[in-house]
Amino acid sequence: MSDKTDSAHRHGASPRGSDESSTSPNSVSTNAGSTRQSPVTFSFNGRPIQALPQDTVASALYRAGRRTFSRSFKYHRPRGLLCVAGKCPNCLMNVDGTPNVRACTQPVQAGMQVTHQNAYPSLDTDFMSLAERFSWAMPVGFYYKTFTHPWMWRIAEPLIRRAAGLGRIDREFRPEANHDYEHVFAHTETTVVGGGPFGLQAALDAAERGEDVVLIDDQPALGGHLRYAPGENSTLPKAFTGDTDESALAAVISRVLDHPQITVYTDATCFGVYEGNLLAIAHRGLDSPAAQRLTQLRTDQIVVATGASEAPLLFENNDLPGVMLSSGALRLIGLHGVKPGERAVVVGQAERAESTSQALQAAGVTVAGVVGPADVVKAVGGKHVTGLKTTTELLACDLVVVCGNWAPDAGLAAQAGGQIEWDEARGVFATGALPPGVTAVGAATGAGLPPSLDTARKNGANAKKTFVCPCEDVSLHDLSTAIAEGFDHIETLKRYTTTTMGPCQGKMCKQAAIDVCAQETGRTVRETGRTTSRPPTAPVPLGALAGPHLHPVKRTPLHAKHDELGCVWMDMGEWKRPLYYGAPESKQASVEQEYWAVRQRVGLIDLSTLGKLEVVGADAGKLLDKVYTNRFSDLRVGRARYGVICDEAGIILDDGTVSRVADDRYFITTTTGNIEFVQEWLEWWQAGSGWCVHVTNVTGGLAAVNVAGPKARDTLAKLTDRDLGNRRFGYMRCRRAQVAGVPSLMLRIGFVGETGWEVHYPAEHGEHVWDAIMAAGKEFDIRPFGVETQRVLRLEKKHVIVSVDTDATSNPIESDLAWVAKLDKGDFIGKAAISRAQARPPREKLVGFVMDDNVLPPDGCVIIADDRPAGRITSVRHSPVNEKVIGLAWVSADLAAAGGTIGMRVNGRLVTATIADQPFYDPAQERLRQ
Amino acid sequence: MSFLIPCPNCGKRSVYEFRFGGEVKSRPAPGSTAEAWLSYSYATANRERPQKEWWYHTHGCRQWFFAMRDTLTNEVTETSLPEEAP
Ligand code: FES
Ligand SMILES: [Zn+2]
Repeated sequence: MSDKTDSAHRHGASPRGSDESSTSPNSVSTNAGSTRQSPVTFSFNGRPIQALPQDTVASALYRAGRRTFSRSFKYHRPRGLLCVAGKCPNCLMNVDGTPNVRACTQPVQAGMQVTHQNAYPSLDTDFMSLAERFSWAMPVGFYYKTFTHPWMWRIAEPLIRRAAGLGRIDREFRPEANHDYEHVFAHTETTVVGGGPFGLQAALDAAERGEDVVLIDDQPALGGHLRYAPGENSTLPKAFTGDTDESALAAVISRVLDHPQITVYTDATCFGVYEGNLLAIAHRGLDSPAAQRLTQLRTDQIVVATGASEAPLLFENNDLPGVMLSSGALRLIGLHGVKPGERAVVVGQAERAESTSQALQAAGVTVAGVVGPADVVKAVGGKHVTGLKTTTELLACDLVVVCGNWAPDAGLAAQAGGQIEWDEARGVFATGALPPGVTAVGAATGAGLPPSLDTARKNGANAKKTFVCPCEDVSLHDLSTAIAEGFDHIETLKRYTTTTMGPCQGKMCKQAAIDVCAQETGRTVRETGRTTSRPPTAPVPLGALAGPHLHPVKRTPLHAKHDELGCVWMDMGEWKRPLYYGAPESKQASVEQEYWAVRQRVGLIDLSTLGKLEVVGADAGKLLDKVYTNRFSDLRVGRARYGVICDEAGIILDDGTVSRVADDRYFITTTTGNIEFVQEWLEWWQAGSGWCVHVTNVTGGLAAVNVAGPKARDTLAKLTDRDLGNRRFGYMRCRRAQVAGVPSLMLRIGFVGETGWEVHYPAEHGEHVWDAIMAAGKEFDIRPFGVETQRVLRLEKKHVIVSVDTDATSNPIESDLAWVAKLDKGDFIGKAAISRAQARPPREKLVGFVMDDNVLPPDGCVIIADDRPAGRITSVRHSPVNEKVIGLAWVSADLAAAGGTIGMRVNGRLVTATIADQPFYDPAQERLRQ
Repeated sequence: MSFLIPCPNCGKRSVYEFRFGGEVKSRPAPGSTAEAWLSYSYATANRERPQKEWWYHTHGCRQWFFAMRDTLTNEVTETSLPEEAP
């Protein structure tokens, strides 16, 4: 791999490689693309294994003599290397704690811990292979036929889960398995998917036209099949067809790697094409077996150069270890220098079988015979192939090389909206008409592929041991049975048998399944059609999709203060807020102390999380009148008013205070976390109106605290020259003031039910003002209080919290907020719906209640009347001043009258509460006006 | 869903930067029937082909604008700021 691909892979947020890598690209003569120079040792099931520089995990194991690499999904049949290209399910292993790693494409790192999967106690002796004896008990559609009662499934599920499936997730934390995944967003002009000869040519062509190009290949090095099998000159694109050195593979690759317009991603799988030519690309981690990066690449042009996959032929025991695809055998030889066997039988047709035999012989393998596909009866052997039975003889061998059919990998073209058409002459489904922005080249179009053989022959062999789908252990017999049962459409056949739904995503089985379906139903292949291609075209680790563990957190300017004071934090949307101050084990005591400080002396709470907006302009009042249910154009400067926003259906969306700070300037607070929505909402109703008004979000720029309690005035009076007396600064007034020398906006409002001021001031003075207030309140024994205390205080006042006490069906009338809906003012959002709600008898009402016994039901507890659910509690707390449990609940309207009784079940006991229509504290509002 | 929307201010951006504001509908005049309000609140034409929609560029210029989006292909053919709309 070149430095350029390396750097693009490691750092490139953009597809452009960094230019600092002026060193020449690595030699590609080691076609495995390895950068390692000397042998290393890794461990397999605890035993040391030597690996040469060109090795993958699988090739090193194969050289060391291992032949069984996995056990199959259902029957636990032994499976060996088949494709050696990362396309089949046969070599899945656990590498450093990551399950389902394809060992044949996983480069070796020194010290790697590799273990087998899906077999007990070992790959060679797997007790679960007894499952095959009971294959009669697991017919196709087993799940649907057997578990006809839920209890059956409950018993069977744990057993099936243990026996079936692939890999196991390691629940133990292991540092080496703890990968950092990242997501990268990039864009380019042309993306070529596939680094074979046609992909290389397409990349050069586009780059020569001056386009920015990204070339993606899922192997460790470029070159496609030319890496291990020479191409016919006649079938190669023009860059390869000269006789000069320039046309050799290494030279063409160098041209690509050196081209300033081309960025290369190797070891990267493009597994999906999404709307707007967005490609999803999983990059294998350079130093870990899991894909560590997911790139979302936006591109103007996609060139599908994904080539073709060789698929197995159908005969009995076609899944035995030692039965290998011709491309797999050639890859072992050409890429890894491993001899695939001693004595081989080649199954295939004349020319291809011939060239494959020659390659095997050149590698020192004895070719015991070449057999035409039609003459094969079965492969013979227990745990490994020992021979091939033909219609005339038994050929002893330790390797059966199958020259299978090549099927174009056209899935990405199909996902991009392209047509996939049946090419009768070649016997393949290949790309047809493609949408704008997508082209296909090379074998994906069917070009240059050898004509396909009819795979759907049986030769009188055991159809139960003839595997069509190696991933899901679906046999020829299973397919025939399913078709006989009526699942004769290729899409229903797929879903019923799960053929094509395993890790290979159809690369090994799709065409064979279609052929079988066509043959059994007497339809043509064209009529049979193919199943839909969807992402992912290849397995992708979930971690790569999930991405990094990033979670935005918002902290108020007073965050450090709260930490210093030892608060318990709570999450409120993205914000962190103090729940209360003190140790978790003394929560009750801490909350009560905070509570009494506010009720009897003075308390201080951080309100910086409130959403804050400035609405400015000649028409600001007009906009607010339209959006809020109450009136603001008539609000006098220096006054504040509570307001509610509803949608057109009369549902409460938000609430807060609106203060008029100047003739053309309002200051609005919104619920914590709802600021973005309220801003959008105001801007929406303003859009296109032509009104002169600007809405500005000032949340982040301002800190805010509430100083509340009988001594709040005395505390603040030390810090400001403003007259805080009732005559000059009464309830629901707003004033600009210097507080502790900081220009602030003071609002006299009383969410917690005591004399109090909200102070909004520049965030950079957050701690200064907080400290000044704490110092000024010291003589009154001031205490900071948290959200939990605030909730008790406001509940005693029956103040509703939008989206705690209301939900997506609550209107102001039923929420005991009818007074905020000014139905006599002009048009506003929700007026029609609220008018209707007022005219009809309510279905439910939000009411206060007092528990008759002192039990504390949980928030959300169901209200019961006449043994039926009749509502739910939204908030409930112990009220220290009342020494009672109080709360808010939605109840059906007939239960809502004051003095009525409602029931609920708490800890299995039926308890009752009495409806109260007045606030539980200071109903006359005297204290907050003091 | 991964299409691009040409914001009238910012140019082509990923749909994930935007908030969908629904079909452009005309709000019933005050005093309209309950049916008119209900269908305005809850009914959508859900046309199959280009339709005029509201979009808001949340992670960009924070402006509401109109977009003609083909509901079959998600192709956005045309966008305009409300003031400029005919
Ligand atoms: S042998 Fe490794 S995926 Fe096929
Ligand atoms: Zn924009």
